[in-house]
Amino acid sequence: MKKLKLLIAGLLLTMAIPAAAQGYKLPAYEKFRLPNGLMVYLMEQHEVPVISVSAIFPAGAIYDGEKAGLASLTATALKHGTKTYSKAKLEEELDFLGASVSTYASKESAGLSAKFAAKDKDMVLQIIKGIILEPVFDTAEFTKEKKRLLVTLEQQKESPRSVIGGYFDKLLFGDHVYGNLQQGKTGTVTPLTTADLKGFYSTNYRPDGSAISVAGDFSAKEMKATLTTLFSGWKKGPKTTGNQAGAPISKPAESNVLLVNKDDAKETTFIIGAPGIARNNPDYVAIDVVNTLFGGRFTSMLNDELRVNSGLTYGAGSRFNALKNGGSFIISTFTAGKTTEPAIDKALEVLNKLHSNGIDEKALTSAKNYVKGQFPPRFETASQLSGLMTQMFWYNFDESFINNFEKNVDGLNLDKAKEIISKYFPKDKLQFVLVGKAADIQKIAEKYGKLKVVEIKEEGKKGF
Amino acid sequence: MKKILLPALLLLGLCIQAQMKSDDVKTFTLKNGMKFLVVEDFSIPNANMYLFYKVGSRNEYQGITGLSHFFEHMMFNGAKKYGPKLFDQTMEFNGGANNAYTTENVTVYTNWFPASATEVIFDLEGDRISSLSIDPKMVESERGVVLSERSTGLENSPWEQLSQTLQGTAFLEHPYHWPVIGYEDDMKNWKQADLERYFKTYYAPNNCVVVVSGGIKYDDVKRLAEKYLEPIPAQPAPPKINIVEPPQTGERRVMVQKEVATPYLMIAYHVPEARHEDYYALNILNSILTGGKSSRLYTSLVDKKQLANSIFSGYSESFDPTLFQFYAVTAKGIHENDLEKAIYTELEKIKQEGITEAELQKIKNQKLMEFYDQVETINGKSNNIGTYEVFFGDYRKMFDAPALYNKVTVADVQRVATKYFTRQNRTVGVLKSNTED
Repeated sequence: MKKLKLLIAGLLLTMAIPAAAQGYKLPAYEKFRLPNGLMVYLMEQHEVPVISVSAIFPAGAIYDGEKAGLASLTATALKHGTKTYSKAKLEEELDFLGASVSTYASKESAGLSAKFAAKDKDMVLQIIKGIILEPVFDTAEFTKEKKRLLVTLEQQKESPRSVIGGYFDKLLFGDHVYGNLQQGKTGTVTPLTTADLKGFYSTNYRPDGSAISVAGDFSAKEMKATLTTLFSGWKKGPKTTGNQAGAPISKPAESNVLLVNKDDAKETTFIIGAPGIARNNPDYVAIDVVNTLFGGRFTSMLNDELRVNSGLTYGAGSRFNALKNGGSFIISTFTAGKTTEPAIDKALEVLNKLHSNGIDEKALTSAKNYVKGQFPPRFETASQLSGLMTQMFWYNFDESFINNFEKNVDGLNLDKAKEIISKYFPKDKLQFVLVGKAADIQKIAEKYGKLKVVEIKEEGKKGF
Repeated sequence: MKKILLPALLLLGLCIQAQMKSDDVKTFTLKNGMKFLVVEDFSIPNANMYLFYKVGSRNEYQGITGLSHFFEHMMFNGAKKYGPKLFDQTMEFNGGANNAYTTENVTVYTNWFPASATEVIFDLEGDRISSLSIDPKMVESERGVVLSERSTGLENSPWEQLSQTLQGTAFLEHPYHWPVIGYEDDMKNWKQADLERYFKTYYAPNNCVVVVSGGIKYDDVKRLAEKYLEPIPAQPAPPKINIVEPPQTGERRVMVQKEVATPYLMIAYHVPEARHEDYYALNILNSILTGGKSSRLYTSLVDKKQLANSIFSGYSESFDPTLFQFYAVTAKGIHENDLEKAIYTELEKIKQEGITEAELQKIKNQKLMEFYDQVETINGKSNNIGTYEVFFGDYRKMFDAPALYNKVTVADVQRVATKYFTRQNRTVGVLKSNTED
């Protein structure tokens, strides 16, 4: 394969940054709020006889407290049976219809995604209502789920790519809730019970603060009536316990290097990062365009230097992971153990070059064309559109973001790009996570900052 | 890239006619034998171009293993008009993106771009297909890239190592024996002459099927194809692959050592290629066994007996007889032998008692939804049409698929389970920390 999609589990959920092609406008949609506070979005799309549902709840890992993994397990366990269906019956009914319904938690929020044939909407929407409003958190099912998760957590340590993001978030965000580990750790997951899940559910799954969006082949008028009937009985939650994500994120005072020792590693997988931006940053679009040039596409400065010119790696890239109250910037790649030092040095050199040489008119034009050209396929399907609407709710933006995107991209000039680079791309106090064989690379790791070494197989109290 | 497990690719729906008709695909063949399939779709202002070359690791031999995949990489490293780096730079400047992948059977290039950039894409493709330059310096740095690709696959997933060993054991003679990525020592020794011969033989226009979908008219596609691709001369047909894997006459077992939380288990049975009449029944059987949480193996082994932490299976389209593979991770505290036996118990049940009508109907319903997924996007359309054309010999077979799936009966599913899931036809692989145990 030519390129690797860098899927880094455990990192902050990234919001896809839409760009606009010539005249692309978001199709018409309507939204309304039920008396209990639930926001509903509806968009008719009749090309294919399917319906997609997307729901979002303020129930992500930032609410875990000391119980890392609780939000994630609660979201998964929503499908462990409802008042009407056992887990087995529920899976059987959905599978029979070829319908998919999944529930999950990310860093900030929890969610549900579903897709089904338009003709099955009554049946599936009833099931979805049961999953969201009437989960029973069956103990026997939970015990099995937990057992599987514990093996999965152990397994992930066999794959540097699966765990590096969690280490990085902890290193960067420290005690701030954005450092919380989505899937948890063996030590925090082991003691969890269904009582914990029920408590988490009743506090955090609430119509006020949540949204449900539906896109696909239906009549908006009928769907509005159906959803009103299904979800009006959902009771408002108690007074909120407070979202700690608003607490200030302390900036690193120095460069830190976390070396995660994996004795049988042949490669070094690494992230170099720094504080990023919040999703509502007014320069969000401009930052995306500049990052496209730096590390967001195949011909980006990073991939060109680390892969194309030097053959040090199969792929190198960078991204801004933006959440409501802040985020991270990361450079990520991997290389053979013996080329660890040249690969890190090259990555740093490219970052320095961005600051010292900046970018030129041709490169800027190219990046602008690219983000605009790659935009429409991101909003082609009912699932993509229903997902977009819940993101509009969560991050508080509307269709103008999409409809004006092309204009905003075009408005970026070299002066502004220069300003973006110096303001948002880090220069120093960089944070490093290296997963590799410590015996071979510890001396190298020391070069880049204050070193801490941990074992991949062990887990410490602070998340390392 | 390693063989992609894409059962969904071919699971075409049961009322496909309602969505897309055979007539919606228009075709033409250039004088040099390059065949085009075109679907006009103006729902978004974008288009794509998928180029399917009939070359993969099955066209290699020991000494040049991995060369097909490496060549996939070299196709991006410069030609006559657009030199090193310019293919990607030009495409991205014009708002386009691309990728490519190689399997045992084919090498596929995918371009996604604003419809307004279509002519640039034709120019880029025409340039590299007609006059690729294989620069020795680029060969060396790209060698590092694919070595890193190989290494990162092995580093991040135990399945990589286990499936390579298993495949090498299940196929002793046929070229499916070696991994698509190649043997490390071969990767370090590919020669310039090998690359040049490969290009001439396999990157001939008559060895390629091109699919274009999106916001562009058939007449424009034809005009651009004639301008940029028709002048490229045809070549003699590539050599036939004569090796047929002899029937397996006894169970084969392999063991691999790697530090893992719990043992990984693979079981593989020899099964026929995509054009075989049993393809549809086997495909349905695959879904019945591991498709979703109500599937036979998930329900029994993961949920009820808790012998497995996860289980899935794969059967994908191929030119030559291939493998139906099971992948299971053992649950904590369970011996992999017990998991293995429990899998056989479930397979025996199907051989003895068959499946139910309700199960069969479930899979047919699922196929319909999978079909919608495929035709909902212009990329899904190109991928499906191209795959049918290449693997089944005619894109129109895609429109016959619904009827062929509908024809499958519970008895057919029982028959193929009995025919292929036999002890002598299987290869079993285990990867675990302590192989002495």
